[in-house]
Formats: sequence, C-alpha cells, structure tokens
Amino acid sequence: MRPARVVMLIGILAGAFPSAALAQYESLENPGSVSAVQERLYRMNHELDLGVGVLPLDAFYKGLAVQVGYTYHFTDSFAWQIARGTYSYSVDTGLREQLERDFGVDPTVFEEVEWMAGSDLVWSPFYGKLAVMNQRVVHFAAFLSLGGTVLKMNVGFRPGIAVGAGLRVFQNKWVSFRLDGVDNVVIADGPRVLHVPTLFLSTALNFGATE
Amino acid sequence: MSPFSTFAPAHRAAALFGLCAAIACSWNQRALAGANPPDDAPAPDAAVSDKPDKQGAGADKEGAKPEEPAGSGNPAAAETPEAPPQKADPKLLDAALQQFYANDFRDAAPMFYAYLEGSPPTDENYAWAQYFLARSLRELGLTHAAGYYLARIARERSNPAVLPRALEELRVLTELPHDETMIDEQIFGSLDLGFLPPEIAAYAHYQQGLIALKVGNERWAKNHFAKLDETSPEASRARFALLVTRLKHAKKVDDDLIDAFYELSRDPKLTPAMKNESLLAVARLKYEKQDYEGALKAYAEVKLPPLDPGQATLYLEEAWARYQLGQLHEAMGLLTTLDAPSFRDEFLPDKYLLRAFIYRDLCHYLPAKRAAKELNRRFADSLEAIHDRTDLAEDLRLRRAAMATGGTHRAAQFLQTLELEGERLGKYAGSFGDRLFPHLVKLYDLAHAEAQRVFQERLAEAVRHEADKLLRAAEQVRLMDYEVGLKLYERVKKGAKLVTPKEEQALKDDEVAFRFDGEYWNDELRTYRFHLESRCMEDTAQ
Repeated sequence: MRPARVVMLIGILAGAFPSAALAQYESLENPGSVSAVQERLYRMNHELDLGVGVLPLDAFYKGLAVQVGYTYHFTDSFAWQIARGTYSYSVDTGLREQLERDFGVDPTVFEEVEWMAGSDLVWSPFYGKLAVMNQRVVHFAAFLSLGGTVLKMNVGFRPGIAVGAGLRVFQNKWVSFRLDGVDNVVIADGPRVLHVPTLFLSTALNFGATE
Repeated sequence: MSPFSTFAPAHRAAALFGLCAAIACSWNQRALAGANPPDDAPAPDAAVSDKPDKQGAGADKEGAKPEEPAGSGNPAAAETPEAPPQKADPKLLDAALQQFYANDFRDAAPMFYAYLEGSPPTDENYAWAQYFLARSLRELGLTHAAGYYLARIARERSNPAVLPRALEELRVLTELPHDETMIDEQIFGSLDLGFLPPEIAAYAHYQQGLIALKVGNERWAKNHFAKLDETSPEASRARFALLVTRLKHAKKVDDDLIDAFYELSRDPKLTPAMKNESLLAVARLKYEKQDYEGALKAYAEVKLPPLDPGQATLYLEEAWARYQLGQLHEAMGLLTTLDAPSFRDEFLPDKYLLRAFIYRDLCHYLPAKRAAKELNRRFADSLEAIHDRTDLAEDLRLRRAAMATGGTHRAAQFLQTLELEGERLGKYAGSFGDRLFPHLVKLYDLAHAEAQRVFQERLAEAVRHEADKLLRAAEQVRLMDYEVGLKLYERVKKGAKLVTPKEEQALKDDEVAFRFDGEYWNDELRTYRFHLESRCMEDTAQ
C-alpha cells in the first residue's frame, strides 16, 4: 500500500474512532500508567457477629430475629462462617387470624421459623472506599455467601441452602458493621421449595488481625 | 551519573533553603526580620525604643498626654481639634467592668479607654484598665489593638499583678499573625526575667535564646536555654533551634549532627510539625552525604495527620532520592502526587526537570523533551519577566512562591490580618464613639504602613531567590533538550536488543491497588506506583 493511502486510512480510522485516537495521543503525551498501591487498612481474622434482623417475606407473620455467628477468614477474600445461629420471634400480621376466622383454615398448615443454624463459605471479591462529604474516607467490602442451613420450624426440622450477599463497612481494625441479605431455600414437605429470606444488620468484632 | 552535575549544587541549595525555612517554621513564626538587638545581652530598656512609639505616636500618649489629637485616620476628626478628655470618674471603671463581665465588649471598650484617657499612668487601676481594654478588643476581633495594649502593660510594668496575665495573653496572641517587632522582639525578647511565673519565664527565655541565635550570639542563646526546664517543650524546641543553627554554620556535616536531629525527632515533647522538620533535616543531610537509602528511611518516618496532603517539598525530595537510587518508577509515582490539586500552586520547577530525567533514562525521548519544555511553557510569563528585568514582585507565580514560606509568609499574613481588622474596626465606628474609634483608626493605619514596608522588603528578597531557582531549572532544561535531541537521532546498532524489562513488583497479600484515573485521593498521595517499560537498547541502557 502506498504511503499516502496508509496516511489516509489512518486518518479515516482516527476519525471513525475519536476516543481511541485521543487515548493514543494521551498515551504518547504521558506514557505509562499509575496505580495507587496501598496496604489494606482493614484485615479480618477471627470474627464474631452479633446482629438483629427480620424475616420479612411471609405474609402471615414477620420474624424479628437475633443472630450470632463466628467466621474465620483464611485470606482477605475468602472466609468460612463456621457457625451461625438465629432465633426468630414471630409476629402475626393479622392475615392468619382473618383466614382462620373467615375461611376456617387449619392453623397447622402455616409454617413458621423458630430458630435456625448454619454454616457458610464467604467470598469477598470487592474492597473499596467512599469519600464521605469530602471529609472522611470509609472503607467497605462486599461479599457473597453460600452455605447450608437447618431450620427449626413449628412443624419440625427442615434442611435448606443459604445464598446471600452482604456489605461490610469498617469502623476501625476491630469493629465493622455488616448488612447481610440471605435467602434460605428450604426443602419442605411435598416436596416443595420454600424461600425464607432474612435481612440482618450486625456488629462484627474482629480479633487477631495483623497490621 | 547524570551529565547535569549542576543539579547537585542546585538541589543542595534548595535543601539548605528548606532548612532555613525549617528554622523559621520551628521558631513558630517568631523569627524577627530586621531584628537588631544588642550583641552581648538582651536590653530591656531598648524594648521601648523603636516601633511601638512610631506606631502609636498619638496612641501611646492617650494617658500621659491626653491633649494629643487622636484619629488622624479620620479626616473629620483631624479638621476639628478635640476637646481634652475630662478627668475620669473612678466609677467609670466599675461600670466598664460590669459591661465587660456582661460580655458587652462593644460598650466596655470605649469606657475603659475613657478611663485611661482621664487617668494618669500612675493611677493604681491604670494597668487593669489597659488589660481589660485589651481583652475587650481581642473579644471584638481586634487582635493587633489588643496586642498593643498588652505590650504597653509589659513595657510600663506599673502593676506587678497585671503583668503575668498580660504576658500570658500576649503569648497566646503570638500564635496568631502578629507584630513580631512589637511583641517578640521588644517584649519577650527584652524582658527582665527575674520575677516572672515559671511558664512565662520559660517562654521568654526561649524567645530570647532564639533572638540571640538569630543575631549569631550562640553563647547567650545557650545561657537562656540552660535556664529552661529539661522536661519542658521549650527545652526540646530550643535544642532543635540550636541544631539548626549549628547546621547553618557547619562547613561539613558530621554524623553526630544527623544523629542529634534523629534523636530529637523522637522527643515526645516536640510538636508533630517539629518532629517532621527534624526528620526532614535528617533526610536532607543524608541526601547530601549521598546516603539515599538513609534519606528514604527518614522520609518514610515523617508522619502526616490522616488525610493531610503533606508538603510538596517532602515528595519532591523523596522523588530525587529515589531517582538517585535508580527507582525511576517510584520517583515518577511521587511526581504524579505533585500534580495533585493540593500542590497545583506550588512553585516546583525541579518537578518538570526530574520528570524529564526519568523519561530520558527510560529512553522515552519525546516525552522527556515535552516534560522539560513544560517548565518553559508553565513559567513562560515569569521567565519573560526575569529576562525583561521587570519588577519580579509583580509576577504572580513568583510572588505566590515567595509568599508561601518563611518571613514573607508571616509578613503577608500579618498584613492581611491588619486589613481584615481594619475593616472590622469600621463596624464599631458608632459604638466606640469619637475618641476610641479615631485612636484605633490611627493605630491601625500606622501599623498597616509599617507592615506593608516590612512585607515589601521581604518580598523583594524572596522573589529574587525564587527567580534564581527558576533560572537554574530553565538552564537545566536547555541542557536536557540538547542531550535528548542527540539521543533521538542516535543510531541503533545492528542486532541491538531492548533491555530486559524490569520485573514488575507483584501485589502482596496485604496490598490493594486502585488504578489511577486522574482523581486524587489524599490517602493515596504517598502510594502511587508508575509503570512504563524501558525502550532503551542494551548498549544504551543506563
């Protein structure tokens, strides 16, 4: 190809992809790339959670729950929530009473969670920071969890799979706050699948983290 | 080794200038420009000699010579001669104190002034009236006027009970922009220290020691410093001042001096700013001795408050140290820091030069040329002003650089304070009446004129220094441009290969990386890591 045509072709391509051309120009002007490499400010090790939450989905009752858990963090991104236990106090919504009164439905068909226990693997691929009012920097981590749950319901024990996601906001090296949303997929009689979602806000105490 | 060996002296000069600035800072903005106390000893009698009399020619005499017309700053007052003040009723002071304790300073101040005008200086409550007038004025935001009356109490010493309080108030005022001659030199620098409470005496000894150091009388300075309690913060600050002075006069830097600075940086009684200054001194001295690793260790120990952007000079000096160690990428990371908005107004011609050196050493010659020429582009107006021999103080960049540190900075701050307080005084025109108001207007007018003179004097000297710095950098740029031009057209030998790229440092387990996209976060400023592969051929690699 003759040089004039090459130049023309480059011109056409540059016109067609102005952002690419701009990026190339920029990299010629200031070659190289820059990253901020920092030591992680917050690292988890032995974590003890104390939280309160709700079981919000069931139309017949709402569960007000407390939860305690222990998690061991193998690395900054991988952890095992070795144990978690939840106790739920049920509050009727009134719908059950209405059904019983108006339609004579047998109360035993309504399944309620009394407590549950489980264990999960936790993966934290996200770690970041937020500027708060341009005055403070808040560090956070987001994570996904997958594990098994045993639910004690008013009709007996039920096994389940817990799938969840959460967000942790660090206060300091020892204290962080967690927001966990977990869906417990329960295999009930029938067989049928029952979803028991939970939403918890916890205070996490961290022990033994290195600097 | 860089062919630009002229860099080293230039940098050395910059570092020493930095240390001189450090002295000024460490003296807590109390170094005295134009101070000329006697060589042999502090002279209390000289305290009342010069400037305050000039400043308050009329104001000084409102008690002693009440017939002195006041308020030359007020044309109306100047046109009609004022009636002499009447003799003050002793009840006036009680009424003024009542207003003072009711936090009604606006009404209290003219009453105290009326009492002073109508009473002889020998009146037993004269000093108390001055003291409360000063406090009222301070509460109203007129710190210079407050300082003036407190300084008068300290000079006249008519009431021993008031003196320590006045001195304590003055000590607090010295933390704000203030008249250095009136307060530091003529009060704290010249006090007879025999009967003062220990805290005030320590402060005064420290100040007098500083002044003795300033005029080169180290023996007298040591005499004053020896009287400080070893465990007091003043003693630590005094040690710092002595070390800086020793350094200033040292022909050769020895390790003992470096160790002494290092030891001082660990003194818990020292302020964080002074600790950092000590560490910077260690780093600069180690750099001078070509112990770049040692310099880097000292820089790393400089502690900044959370989210504080830090000092531009710290980053630039660290970048030079890393460059000397061949850590080009780390040095460039620090130069990225210096492009942050926090440092956009900093006057750092060396920054462009170092960037050009780094690109050149990585054989990216066009960016090297561009980086070097960026200096000429950015400082084109200033360079033109220097070449045209125009008034350098008129050049905005040079002026800003000159006003950024040292005595010029303090003089500018004091001038600004006077302007602000002068405007504030206008708000009290009605409340202060036709005697106190014109008197204060005159006081501020005179102080402003003197502050302006001092500022201009210091500014002229400082802009010359900054212009020298810029010219040196511009000269280096010309050399760099020439050398890079040669490199650009250098023939590559047949079969030459690119140098093996330096293995990029992998992230450690406890590290996290945020790719820089032009947005600066203060918590990241010291952590930028630059990546650029070298284009050098093996035979030309440096």
